[in-house]
Amino acid sequence: MSIDPVTLQVIGGALHTIAREMAYVLYRMSFSSIIRESEDLGAGLFDRSFATLCESDNTPLHIGSIPGYLRGIEASMTTPWREGDVVIHNHPYFGASHSPDIAVVVPVFYEGRHIGFAGNTAHHVDIGSATPGLIVDIQDIFGEGMLLKAVKLYEGGVRNETVWNYLANNSRVGRQLQDDLGAQIASAQLGARRFQELYATYGAETVEAASAELMAYTERMLRKRIAEIPDGDYVAESWLDDDGRNRGVRLPIKVCVRIRGDEAEVDLTGSSPQVPTAFNVPFEGSTKVACYVAFRSLLLDTFTASVPIPANEGSFRPIRVTAPKGTIFNPIFPTAASARFSQCNRMIDCIIRALSPVLPDAAIAGSSASLSFVAYSGLRKTSNDYWVFIEVNEGAYGGRPRSDGPDSIDNLMANTRNNPIEDLGMHLPMICDRYELRDDVECGAGRFRGGIGVVKHQRLLEGGWLTHEAERHTDKPWGLFGGHDGAEGRVDIFNHADPAGTTEPQHAKISGVVMKPGDTMAFYSPCGGGFGDPLERPAATVLDDVLDGFCTMGYARSAYGVVIDDAMRIDHEATLALRAEMAARAAAR
Amino acid sequence: MASIGVDVGGTFTDLVLERDDDGPGGRRVFVHKVPSTPADQSVGVVDGILAICRIAGLDPKAVRRVVHGTTVATNITIEKNGAEVGMLTTKGFRDLLHIARHKRPHNFSLHFDVPWQSDPLVKRRNRMPITERIMPPDGRVETPIDLDEVRAAVREMKARGVEAVIVCFLFSFLNDAHEKAALAIVREEMPEAFASASSEVANVIREFERFSTTAMNAYVGPRTARYLRNLEKRLRDEGMDAELRIMQSNGGIGTVATCSERPVTILMSGPAGGVIGGRWAGAMSGVGDVITIDIGGTSADIGVIADGAIRIMNPRDTVVGQHPVLAPMLDLDTIGAGGGSIAFRDEGGAFRVGPRSAGAMPGPACYGNGGSEPTVTDAHVVLGRLDPERFLGGDMAIDPALAEKAVREKVAEPFGMTLEEAALGIVTIVNANMALAIRSNSVARGFDPRRFSLMPFGGAGPLHGVALAEAVAARDVIVPPAPGITAAMGLLATKLAYEFTRSTPTLVSGPALGDFAAANATLADLTALATERLAADGVAPEAMLFERVAECRYQGQGFELRTPLPEGPITADNAAAIVASFHAVHERDYGYRFDDTQVEIVTLRVIGSAEVPPLTWPELADAASPDPTEALLYVRPTTFDDRQRLDTPRYDRDRLKAGHVVPGPAIILQHNSTTLVPPGFTARIEKAGNIRIARNQQPSAEVAS
Repeated sequence: MSIDPVTLQVIGGALHTIAREMAYVLYRMSFSSIIRESEDLGAGLFDRSFATLCESDNTPLHIGSIPGYLRGIEASMTTPWREGDVVIHNHPYFGASHSPDIAVVVPVFYEGRHIGFAGNTAHHVDIGSATPGLIVDIQDIFGEGMLLKAVKLYEGGVRNETVWNYLANNSRVGRQLQDDLGAQIASAQLGARRFQELYATYGAETVEAASAELMAYTERMLRKRIAEIPDGDYVAESWLDDDGRNRGVRLPIKVCVRIRGDEAEVDLTGSSPQVPTAFNVPFEGSTKVACYVAFRSLLLDTFTASVPIPANEGSFRPIRVTAPKGTIFNPIFPTAASARFSQCNRMIDCIIRALSPVLPDAAIAGSSASLSFVAYSGLRKTSNDYWVFIEVNEGAYGGRPRSDGPDSIDNLMANTRNNPIEDLGMHLPMICDRYELRDDVECGAGRFRGGIGVVKHQRLLEGGWLTHEAERHTDKPWGLFGGHDGAEGRVDIFNHADPAGTTEPQHAKISGVVMKPGDTMAFYSPCGGGFGDPLERPAATVLDDVLDGFCTMGYARSAYGVVIDDAMRIDHEATLALRAEMAARAAAR
Repeated sequence: MASIGVDVGGTFTDLVLERDDDGPGGRRVFVHKVPSTPADQSVGVVDGILAICRIAGLDPKAVRRVVHGTTVATNITIEKNGAEVGMLTTKGFRDLLHIARHKRPHNFSLHFDVPWQSDPLVKRRNRMPITERIMPPDGRVETPIDLDEVRAAVREMKARGVEAVIVCFLFSFLNDAHEKAALAIVREEMPEAFASASSEVANVIREFERFSTTAMNAYVGPRTARYLRNLEKRLRDEGMDAELRIMQSNGGIGTVATCSERPVTILMSGPAGGVIGGRWAGAMSGVGDVITIDIGGTSADIGVIADGAIRIMNPRDTVVGQHPVLAPMLDLDTIGAGGGSIAFRDEGGAFRVGPRSAGAMPGPACYGNGGSEPTVTDAHVVLGRLDPERFLGGDMAIDPALAEKAVREKVAEPFGMTLEEAALGIVTIVNANMALAIRSNSVARGFDPRRFSLMPFGGAGPLHGVALAEAVAARDVIVPPAPGITAAMGLLATKLAYEFTRSTPTLVSGPALGDFAAANATLADLTALATERLAADGVAPEAMLFERVAECRYQGQGFELRTPLPEGPITADNAAAIVASFHAVHERDYGYRFDDTQVEIVTLRVIGSAEVPPLTWPELADAASPDPTEALLYVRPTTFDDRQRLDTPRYDRDRLKAGHVVPGPAIILQHNSTTLVPPGFTARIEKAGNIRIARNQQPSAEVAS
C-alpha cells in the first residue's frame, strides 16, 4: 500500500509524540538518578517483526537497541505472547546493550491480533553485580549480576509474585529496582494504549505503510549523504589504556570505513582481542548501535539539518558493521561485557578521524571520546542497608570547523544529565567539594580551540566503596588540521583532612576501592584537541579567552603567538612579529 | 473612571478600555489597535492609550488602572542584549552556569550550539569565587564566609563596569546567612547596581536551576526596570495618575516595583494574557474547561484551563532561551506553527509545513512583499477561505494569484497534486502539528479533551477551530468576541497574584513521620511575605486570598508534582490527606501510583492574591428569529477540509445578534478575524458575545464504520 504524503506527516508526528510521552512518564516517575536525572533510557513502539515504529531520543546508545532485545526475547520465550504480559530482559548475548540496561516489553494486541510491542530500556543502579553498581574487573558474565532472559513479570495480566520477590532480594537496592521497573511498566503500558488508539484511528494497513515509508525516508536521506563521499577505504587507529586488570597493556582500536556508492562498512578487524575483564562490547546491542550513532551525527547532524529526520531503523540499513568474533567489539559467551562505553566512543572518534580528509567541513578534532562512570556505595549507619549512587561524568569536544569544541559536556554517544549537587548532599552521605573547569592543563589550541573538561571532587562522608570505569589516561585527544592535542584524563584519591599528604594517582578503571570517611575522588576529564592553525585564531578572541581564564597569558603567547600586556591589552606589534616568526618556523619544519 | 488593558505584540499593540459609565454610543467597552514600536515599546503603549481614550471620549486623567502585557523582558533574552552581570559564588564551583546539566541540546550532532556557553548570562571573567561553605542536610557552616574576599571582588566588578551583581552560594536554601552578608557588601559598595541573592529570587533546592534563575533575573533586570519606570513616567507626563500593573507569567498582575525587582516573573507576560482571556471568555459561556489556542503568524500558544483554574507549569519545565527559570509560569506550549508557516518539499521528498515562517516580512506570498514561498495563509486564500477585499477588514490588499502561484510551484507540482489538494495538504499538516501539541498538553497530562471546549483566537485561530476540535475530540468550539485581541482582554480579567516558595524537605508518610515544625514555619513565613506584598499594593486584609501548595514526590524520585494543602498547619492528622491527594495527582499525570512508597514534600509555595473585578463585555441584542439573513454579506465558493467546494455565505459578525443560528457551510467575518463553520456544524450566537460551534446532532444512531 502506498501512502499519501499528508497522511504520512500526520502519522509520523503522532508516532514521534508517543515515543516522547513514553519517555517522559518513565523519567519523571523513576527513582534512581541514573534514570530520572541522567535520562539513561529509551522507549518506543515496534511492529511484530521488531522494526522500530518510533523511538524516543533521550540517550543515543539506547536508540536502536530495543529491536535487538526483542529478537533476544523471542528466541528465549518459554511460553507464547499473551495480552497482559510484561517481560523483562537484559541478556547481553541475547540482544541486550549491557546487563544493567533492563528492557521492559509488553505485547500489543488489536482486535485480537498481536500487532507489535511497546517497550523501553533503562539503566538500573544495581542488579546484584560483583561490586556495587558497576563492574570492571570480574571473571565472566555471571559476575555482572542477575541475567534476566525473557522473564515474565506479569503473565496474562497476573503479577508473578515469585519473580518480584526474587528481584527484590537480588539487588543491593531492591526497593529502587522494583519502583524503577514500575515506572518502566507504566511507560510501556501507556505506549501500548497509544499504539491501539493509532490503529483504531488510521487502520493497521495505513499505520504500517506509514512506518515503512518513514524508515525508507530516513534511509534515503542517509544514503544521499554517503553517496556524496568519494568511494574509498578510510582508516584511523588509536589505543585504550588497559582492560582494568592488566596494567600497561594497551588495547588497539582499528577502524576502516569503506565507502562504496551509497553504502558504508565499518570494519573493526585488527582491534584488540576480547579481554578477560568486563571491558568488552556486546556486538548486537552496542557495537552496531555505536556505528549508527557515528554516521547519524556526522551525516545527518540535527543542528545543521533544515528538517528533522525521524529516528528509526532506516538509519541503520546503509551501514554494515564487521567485527571478528572473539574481539573486544564482538566477545564470545561467557565473557563479561558490561563496561563497554569508552570503546564505543573511541570507535566513533576514530570514524570521524578516518573520514576527516574527505569531510573537512563536517569532521571535528579529537574529543574526550571516553566515559567516566562511577559507582559510589556504602551502608547506611542506622539500617545497615546499602546505598548505591552511580554518576556519569562529562567530557569535552574537539574544536570544530566553524566553532570551538564545547566544554564540560557529555560526549559523542553519551548524553545524560548530571545529578544536582544539592539533591545528592541532602539524601546521601556524600558531598561535592569542587565542580568546575580544569585549570591544571594548557592544551587544545586551534583556530577553534578544543573543549575544556571538568574537575569534580566527590567526598564520602562515612566511607564506603568505589568503582570507576573510564579511559584516556595515557592518550591525548588529537588536534586536527594544525590544531594542538588536548589533554589526558586523570583521577586522584585523597583524604579531605590532608589533600596534599594523601593524594594518590589512580588508573582510569578501578574496582571495589575501599574508601575511608573523608576519602575523596577527584576526577579530571580529558580535554578536546584544537581544530586548525592556532595562529589563525583572531587575537581579540584569544584575549577574551585569557580574560575568561580559558587560556593563560603564557599559553596565549606560546601556542597562539598573541602577546598581552599587563594592562590586559593586546600588543599588536609584538603579536604580529611573534606570529610571523612562528609561521616561518612551522613552514621550515 | 476607566481601566485599560494594553498588550504589546510583534506587529500591533492591542488595547481594550472599559468605562464605569456609558461612553459614546452608550458603550462601555472599546477596543483599538496601534502599530507596535519595537525600539521602545512604551511609545506605542502611550500613543495607544491616548488614542483609545479619545475613541472612548474619556479624559486620560480618568483612567484608574492600566494593565500591561509586555514582551520587553522576553525580547532581551531573544536579542541577547541584557546587562553585564557579575556573580559571587562558592569557591570551587565557578562554572556551574557553564556546565549546566552537562547535557547536549542535540543527540545526533557534532556542530550543535551550547547557548549557555556561547552566550552566557554571566561571563566567566565576572564569576568570582568566594571562600565559604554551608553543609547539608542541616545548613551548618563548615567554612565561614571571607568578607574581605567579597569586598575585593565587588570592587573589581565595579571597576569593570558591571551593572548587576548576583550572589549564588551552594545550599543557601538551607541557610541564607552567607548570601545575605555578601549582598549587604554589594549594596554598600555598589548602591546603583541591580543586586540580588539566589535565596531571594528562587529559594529552592537544585543549584544550577536556582543560579540560572537568579542570573536571568539580573540579565533582564536593569533594562526591564528602566522600561517600566520610564513607562510610568511617560504616563505621569501625560497627566495620568493611573496605577500601572504588569501581567506576570503566572497569570496574575504585579506592581511596577515588584516586577522591576523580579523581572524574571514577567518573561511570559505576553502569552499569559491570552490564557487568562480564554478563561474569561469561557466563563461568559459558563464553561470552565477550556483549551485555548492562540494562533499567530509564526507560532501558536496552547493552554489548558480545567474547572476554571489556570495551570502552572512544573518548575522542571520552565525554560527561557534554553536557560532554566524557576519562576511560576502558566502551563503553555508554544509550537512553531502559524499563518506564516512555510510549506515545502524537502530533499528526502517529505511534505513539510514549518517551523520556518515567512514572518511579517516578507510575509505570505499573497501579501505581495516579495515572498514566493507558500504559507498556511496562502493555502486558505487558495481554498477561498480568506476573501481578498476583506483581509484585515479591508485594511490590507492581498493577491490570490500570488498565493496560487506559490502553492502550485512549491507544493502541487513537486508532489504531482492538484492546486486544491496541495492547499488542503498544507492545512491538514499544520492542523495535525497543532493537534499533537494540544494532545501532549492535555491528554498526555491526564485531561480528557472530550470534556473541554476548544477556544481558538489570534487572527488566524477561528479558521482552524473546528478542525482542531475534531482532531482532538473536544466537546465544541467557542470563538471569543474579539479573537484578535483576546490577550488584551485577559489583562482586564485577572487578579493580583504573588508567589513565594522555599524548599523544606519533609516526609509526610512512613514510619519516621511526626515533625512538621519546619514546614509549618516555612508556610507561616511565606504567608507573611505574601501578606506584606499585598498590603503594599493597598489590598485590605479581608480581601487577601492565600493558596498553599506542596510540591511532593515519592521519596527518591527527582520530579515533584503540585499537591494542594489542607487549611491550617500540617499535622499528623491531615498528613494522610496530603498523601492521598499526591497519589491522585501522580496517577492523573503518569497513570500509575506507588501506594506503599513514602511521600516527601520538597518545596512549599504560597500564592497570595486579591481579586480585581473582571471586564464586563456588553451583551448582544436579541435576534428576532434564529435566521441570520440580516447579517448576510454575500455568497462565494469555498473549499472545506472534506474537499467539498460549496457556495458559502459570509456573515458580518457585527450584525449577528444573540440567538442567531448560522448553519455550516458558512464564514463569519469581523475586522481582524475569520471564523470557518464547515458543513455539518452549526454556529450559535450567544448573548454574552461568544460564538459556540458544534457538530450537528445525527438524526439516527451512527453506524460504526
